[in-house]
Amino acid sequence: MALPQQQIVDYPSFKLVIVGDGGTGKTTFVKRHLTGEFEKKYEPTIGVEVHPLDFNTNCGRIRFYCWDTAGQEKFGGLRDGYYIHGQCAIIMFDVTARLTYKNVPTWHRDLCRVCENIPIVLCGNKVDVKNRQVKAKQVTFHRKKNLQYYEISAKSNYNFEKPFLYLAKKLAGDPSLHFVEMPALAPPDVVIDLATQQLNEQELVMAAAQPLPDDDDDTFE
Amino acid sequence: MDDLEKAILIIFDETGAIDDELKKQAKIYCNEIKEKPSICRLCIEKLCFSNLVQVQFWCLQTLHEVIRTRYLTMTPDERHMIRGSVFSIVCLQDKNLLRVLEGPAFIKNKLAQVLITLIYFDYPLIWSSVFVDFFPHLSKGNMVIDMFCRVLNALDDELISLDYPRTPEELTVACRVKDAMRQQCVSQIVRAWYDIVSMYRSSDQELCASVLDSMRRYISWIDIGLIVNDAFIPLLFDLILEGALSDQLRGAAVRCLLAVVSKRMEPQSKLSLLQSLQISRVFRLVTEDADAELVSDIAALLTGYAVEALDCFRRTSSEDAKGMSMGLLNEVLPSVFYVMKNFEVDATFNIVQFLSGYVATLKSFSLLGEKQLLHLGQILEVILVLIRYDPAYRTNLDVMDKIGKEEEDRMVEFRKDLFVLLRAVGRVAPDVTQLFIRNSLASAVSSSSDSNVEEVEGALSLLYALGESATEEAIRTGSGLLSELILTLLSTKFPCHSNRLVALVYLETVTRYVKFIQDNTQYIPMVLAAFLDERGIHHSNINVSRRASYLFMRVVKLLKVKLVPFIETILQSLQDTVAHFTIMNYTSEELSGSDDGSHIFEAIGLLIGTEDVPPEKQSDYLSSLLSPLCQQVETLLINAKSWTYEENNAKIGVIQQIIMAINSLSKGFSERLVTASRPAIGLMFKQTLDVLLQVLVIFPKVEPLRNKVTSFIHRMVDTLGASVFPYLPKALNQLLEEIEPKQMAGLLLLLNQLICKFSTSVCNILEEIFPAVADRIFSVIPRDGLPSGPDAVTEEIRELQELQRILYTFLHVITTHDLSPVFLSPKCKAYLDPVMQLLLYSSCNHKDILVRKACVQIFIRLIKDWCAQPYEEKVPGFRSFVIEAFATNCCLYSVLDRSFEFHDANTFVLFGEIVLAQKVMYDKFGDDFLVHFVSKGFSAAHCPPDMAEQYCQKLQGGDFKALKSFYQSLVENLRLQQNGSLVFR
Repeated sequence: MALPQQQIVDYPSFKLVIVGDGGTGKTTFVKRHLTGEFEKKYEPTIGVEVHPLDFNTNCGRIRFYCWDTAGQEKFGGLRDGYYIHGQCAIIMFDVTARLTYKNVPTWHRDLCRVCENIPIVLCGNKVDVKNRQVKAKQVTFHRKKNLQYYEISAKSNYNFEKPFLYLAKKLAGDPSLHFVEMPALAPPDVVIDLATQQLNEQELVMAAAQPLPDDDDDTFE
Repeated sequence: MDDLEKAILIIFDETGAIDDELKKQAKIYCNEIKEKPSICRLCIEKLCFSNLVQVQFWCLQTLHEVIRTRYLTMTPDERHMIRGSVFSIVCLQDKNLLRVLEGPAFIKNKLAQVLITLIYFDYPLIWSSVFVDFFPHLSKGNMVIDMFCRVLNALDDELISLDYPRTPEELTVACRVKDAMRQQCVSQIVRAWYDIVSMYRSSDQELCASVLDSMRRYISWIDIGLIVNDAFIPLLFDLILEGALSDQLRGAAVRCLLAVVSKRMEPQSKLSLLQSLQISRVFRLVTEDADAELVSDIAALLTGYAVEALDCFRRTSSEDAKGMSMGLLNEVLPSVFYVMKNFEVDATFNIVQFLSGYVATLKSFSLLGEKQLLHLGQILEVILVLIRYDPAYRTNLDVMDKIGKEEEDRMVEFRKDLFVLLRAVGRVAPDVTQLFIRNSLASAVSSSSDSNVEEVEGALSLLYALGESATEEAIRTGSGLLSELILTLLSTKFPCHSNRLVALVYLETVTRYVKFIQDNTQYIPMVLAAFLDERGIHHSNINVSRRASYLFMRVVKLLKVKLVPFIETILQSLQDTVAHFTIMNYTSEELSGSDDGSHIFEAIGLLIGTEDVPPEKQSDYLSSLLSPLCQQVETLLINAKSWTYEENNAKIGVIQQIIMAINSLSKGFSERLVTASRPAIGLMFKQTLDVLLQVLVIFPKVEPLRNKVTSFIHRMVDTLGASVFPYLPKALNQLLEEIEPKQMAGLLLLLNQLICKFSTSVCNILEEIFPAVADRIFSVIPRDGLPSGPDAVTEEIRELQELQRILYTFLHVITTHDLSPVFLSPKCKAYLDPVMQLLLYSSCNHKDILVRKACVQIFIRLIKDWCAQPYEEKVPGFRSFVIEAFATNCCLYSVLDRSFEFHDANTFVLFGEIVLAQKVMYDKFGDDFLVHFVSKGFSAAHCPPDMAEQYCQKLQGGDFKALKSFYQSLVENLRLQQNGSLVFR
């Protein structure tokens, strides 16, 4: 089945699913890339919204189709139906609301039921807020499931690109991959040497096709 | 393709190609179909015969949803049909159904989830045979076996595993299912696992790995004897040790073994289990050129094993068993150390945790044996290896580029637990630890190898980290090897001092141990040199020199008086730095950090601000610093009008720098010195204040400048005391000019400081400014409080909440510092009503209990202030407001609400204040209060007359505690009567 794409691009693209409780900041996080502005208001997402986010890496440009899913059950739409053919994922919780962390395992389970063995990043959002309820030390879930964990703050841009970078590395199978410039707010039309880029892209796609290291080893029950 | 299939494809489409209206229709269509009575049958049919995964998925999702919500309302026939159909797909009872099991994994997982939902409702009572019926089908081959694993995994995920939040009902069902399975089929399942793995180990290793991975989930709750026996354990070891098998399968076997090892048991049985495993068999797997992934699994196994052995040691009291546990530990530890030193493994965190536990256990030993000392040495070695930076990052770390910063952050985080471990070892075996650090330092310094920078940095970091746990006494006297270590530190020229990290950790370490110098003043020149020469403030790297400024300030704070003889020297060598500081162009971003370099001024201030410096000298020093800075500001302000936009930004940066420098400088001067003993110094600061207030006149809207000047005023309030008064009207008015409501928080803080410091002396000033302040605040804060609840946690509301919090403090300090007349003054009177309304609302409803307490306290105070004489109306209307609104709403209705939680400590304190308020109201208003409270309030709450009578007695009596506890019981009684039916708000 073809990947759902809003417009066809000639560089590697990946479906990224973003899940987590309502109000944890998934939409704000994604929109930060698109507009560079911090969304102060809260409008719950209905169903899903797909945003293409481009990043320039040393191996050329890549695109994440970010499937920003509804966190609130009542606005869920197809819920885990949106995860189908997801190639990587971000699970978001809010460090100022304990319950959102408590629900992380459930989001993880629902995600893995549909997407086996994809790279997943756990993000604790809103670390800029003074009275945190979930301290960094208390975040242990990622160790159990071998996920990557980042503390982020969509408000202050803190660690914004980290989750994407981690996923890009995993998908390309290249630990030395890096972003060559900060994600552009409105992606500039950089002219890249076409020949080199095509070569890079081939490599990327091939690398992406490689099986990923088993990510769901659970040795500490 | 029929309509339903078309509709499903449409609702799954997110390419943007589908028209919104069409999508809406499709959604409605699908939802309508879901409501049909035949929906289950329809889903099953479509699942089996559609080629479209979206359709299959939708069918399974719908089936799951319908079963979950409506299963119990279905007819037994229909339920029977669903069970039969789902099971026949799962077990491939009909060749026509092959399509589903040949489909993608997510379809099979979803199918497993549906089956588990049926098990949830019907096993074991109605559908007792579901597991047993499965076994005959396993012979159909890997497709069904794979499905079998998925079902077992789903059972664990959806129902049994404790990793997920579960409702009490789910927990009950999980217990029921486990009990039934234990009785009925667990042994057969284990048998099946064994047979499958034995049969397929060479033909389908992936399948075997799946079987083992799902088996691992079950080990914690099934009879361990089913696994720990002469058949299964040898099979597991066989798989682990056979090199020809895939790492995936071997890893799965290792993880099963770990689950066996970690099974909860009595220490005695656990010990026999551990011993029977002969774990040493796997040691060779980590000493060979092993695959990293497998080593990670083995490391986890060995750690798990060691954890259990240690746990047995702790839990058992028999000497034999203790000896045996230690024996097992001694056997396994060398391999753990080896792994730690030679591989990067996922289990590092757990291993460090275990080692901490091990060291903690050794604490109880009166005497450490040779083995244990050896292990402690090994642990130190492991720590040193792990905390060392990779030389590959040396340049990145030195220039602090993005990669370098990330690596440093990662390392700082990573080191935390290791340093805790280091200090634990340091407490158990101080001599071993200090000796180890001495040797590491020596070998790092003498080492000529390329990694010399990292070695030095690592060894110094150990010394630094150890210092955190050293007692003040130990550092002061340099106990043990410490004095030798400190002297080595001060006298050694590290060849790599130009490196940023080395230079930083060096200075940090010197600072940490500087207490030693207090009693060993002969070394002061060495310490000063370290900070003042190119190792410190004159280091070529600006990050080092700024940090050095800060650390130097701390050193000065500590050694202060002992440094007086060195003032001239110090000032001389800092001359260039001081001059440099205010001419540099900083961007505002650079200014925000704590290491901005202004600490050098604080250090100087501390040095020259002591009374040990003769008055004339002091004046000279201070004016030589202040005058040029003030002049610079004055010049900048005069020319400000003619600047271009870019110039403007740069100059504003410079002015900020200067204000910070002056601010820091002033910190060294005490109020007593400035106002009493040496007023000439005070005058200098007043003149400075004059100059800096001018900044607000010229740049009223530049927020960073406003903040800097505000904090300087804060300082001057502290330093100049009451002599700052003449400056305040101008300062406050200037700050109020063109202020944004959100910036009010900063101004309120300043006012709070003034009120707390000067109480009634600021009455006039407060009266003048209060209207403007109230005006601006009420323009942004709604009088009935801010919205709360999860939807309201937006940034805007957070900012307003912050302002509101400070506003309550402001009102609270006004009343508690005898300033309530301010509210009544002619200028402020207009705001009395909104303030009262806000206080009333918040005292009843604010979600922060501490705010409610503050509000009640404010009321108590106001009642005392304004109703001192019985029957005197000092504030018209206040008395009736209190009796009619505050008393009933806050003192009765708000506590009757069930959200008022007596078990919460803060709430209980608030309750105390509320009862006190009643007491005060009775004292001041007498029966006016009591009659209204009882006749209106109590009767609305259906309070029985005898309780109301008792209440009156307690209130009139003198025993406050009795009143409080009676009122609590009264409230609880009323709540019971109402049973939540009466809603007051």
